[in-house]
Amino acid sequence: MAKDVKPTRKNLMEIEDRIELSERGHGTLEKKRDGLIMEFMDILDKAQDVRGDLADDYQAAQKKINMARAMEGDVAVRGAAAALQEHPEITTESKNIMGVVVPQIESSRVSKSLDQRGYGIMGTSARIDEAAEAYEDLLESIILAAEVETAMKKMLREIETTKRRVNALEFKLLPDLYDSQEYIEQKLEEQEREETFRLKKIKEKKEQAEKEEREAEAEAEAEAEDEVAPDDEGGDTAEPDMEQSTAGGVPGGD
Amino acid sequence: MSAGASNPEYVNARVRSRRAKLFADEDYRKLIRMGPSGIARFMEESEYEREINELGTRFSGVDLIEYTLNRNLAKHFQDLLDWSQGRLYDYIARYLRKFDVWNLKTIIRGIYTETDPDEIRTDLIMAGELDEPTIDRLLEVDEIEDAVTVLDGTIYAEPLGAAYEEFEETGALVPLENALDREFYEHLLEDIGRPNLQEPQQGPRARYVEFLRAEIDFRNARNALRLARSGADLDPASYYIEGGVLFDRTELRTLVNDYDALVDHIAENKRYGDRLAGALDQLRDADSLIQFEHALDAALLEYADTLSSIYPVSISAVLSYILAKEREVENIRAIARGREVGLDENEIEQELVIL
Repeated sequence: MAKDVKPTRKNLMEIEDRIELSERGHGTLEKKRDGLIMEFMDILDKAQDVRGDLADDYQAAQKKINMARAMEGDVAVRGAAAALQEHPEITTESKNIMGVVVPQIESSRVSKSLDQRGYGIMGTSARIDEAAEAYEDLLESIILAAEVETAMKKMLREIETTKRRVNALEFKLLPDLYDSQEYIEQKLEEQEREETFRLKKIKEKKEQAEKEEREAEAEAEAEAEDEVAPDDEGGDTAEPDMEQSTAGGVPGGD
Repeated sequence: MSAGASNPEYVNARVRSRRAKLFADEDYRKLIRMGPSGIARFMEESEYEREINELGTRFSGVDLIEYTLNRNLAKHFQDLLDWSQGRLYDYIARYLRKFDVWNLKTIIRGIYTETDPDEIRTDLIMAGELDEPTIDRLLEVDEIEDAVTVLDGTIYAEPLGAAYEEFEETGALVPLENALDREFYEHLLEDIGRPNLQEPQQGPRARYVEFLRAEIDFRNARNALRLARSGADLDPASYYIEGGVLFDRTELRTLVNDYDALVDHIAENKRYGDRLAGALDQLRDADSLIQFEHALDAALLEYADTLSSIYPVSISAVLSYILAKEREVENIRAIARGREVGLDENEIEQELVIL
């Protein structure tokens, strides 16, 4: 609010500093926003691929498990699944993309060899193996999708925040600061004009007073001369009084 | 009971009547067009009526069908054990031990995952030799070690005891499950199948041994192909089951490292090469082993069926019935589950094994 600012030179200097900082910040944030958008587009392409793979893997896994349940029986499939208690291990680390911390998910023990799935090999069939393998692939895809989509969401949030900041600087803060600067400058100029005018007025008044004094003096002198001309002695005794009053009149004129 | 003389005539007469009740091709064709509830209704009007009614209050949908099939299968196979005597009983019981192995694996997995004993019990198929009290005691234990102790006196105690040490080291059930499966396969040929040792050259027993060897060979072939495909760093010899004619232990070790050579080896085998030729051709280019396993199942079923027609009054006929009944259960389950998960009629039909 430009009107809320006190129109002082100190405030003007402060506002000018803020404008400079904001303009610099605006430029930097714009660059960051553009960089983030570029990075986001790369991640988006990757996310689309991962999504596609995930859908395919899900379809394949469902088909395999449906076939296994149909041909081996639900009891056999459940039994084979129950033969393993160990869960895949998932660790998350983080990496930095243009200041945005995104997760990096590492998984282990997702894809297993035939002897690591818990169920015995001699009494089971390839249907169970293929269903297990399809679900291991699906789980790998889910982990990758989780990583990419979380990164995408974080990037999107950061882009949104940066965009809001850029817009706030561009359309709110900087215009307000420019308004305040202009307001203060105008006020200061006005004050300056008023001061000049005031000084001019004082000067005129002073000159007027001096002029009037001078005229009064001249008038007094003329009167004195008129009095001296008919009686020279009386004129000599009255002179010190006239000088006294003139000397006292000048300081009073100031 | 293994006591007394063998009674194949009596058992085969009963088996023939049971075999006649198996679903025919046209029944499968009808079932393929039905939804799960239609299939359950169809079963209610057939051989499966009693089980559907018993389980109808506890389960619904495809679960009802699957548990009905399992219970009916168990009932029929228990009948076979009840009817048979002497050596015939031994042969049947030996083959039906696969259900004991199934039950033991299910119980061990249940203990491992701390599942409620009632839930474990629903998944059991009581078609094997292990009696109810032993199963009850197994369901009561909380530790796998205690389950091994409960099995003391059975053929499973020793291999499970040995595998338990490895289980303790790794924490994975693989050694226990493999030990149980191996025990089943290696006992199949017990005292009749040792090469050059009392092995009959012809007659029903020779055919029976031939069938069992085929079962072992097919299992070895499946496992070898799975190991070769997986690329896992495993010793193939430790998954080798003795008793087959397709591979020996050393051959298997070499062949697992060369997938094409392995397929060629199976194709060149005189006994199975022709029978599996089509499936093996597909296998060379296919990404999946499923079609080959499907072909193995069909070949085994056909094998047993041929044997039963050559020697109609022998263990082969009983075995053929066991396989046919198992296949019926698998086919109905495949249709019901297939319909449930939205497979179309063609897809389901391709997966069925029908003679």
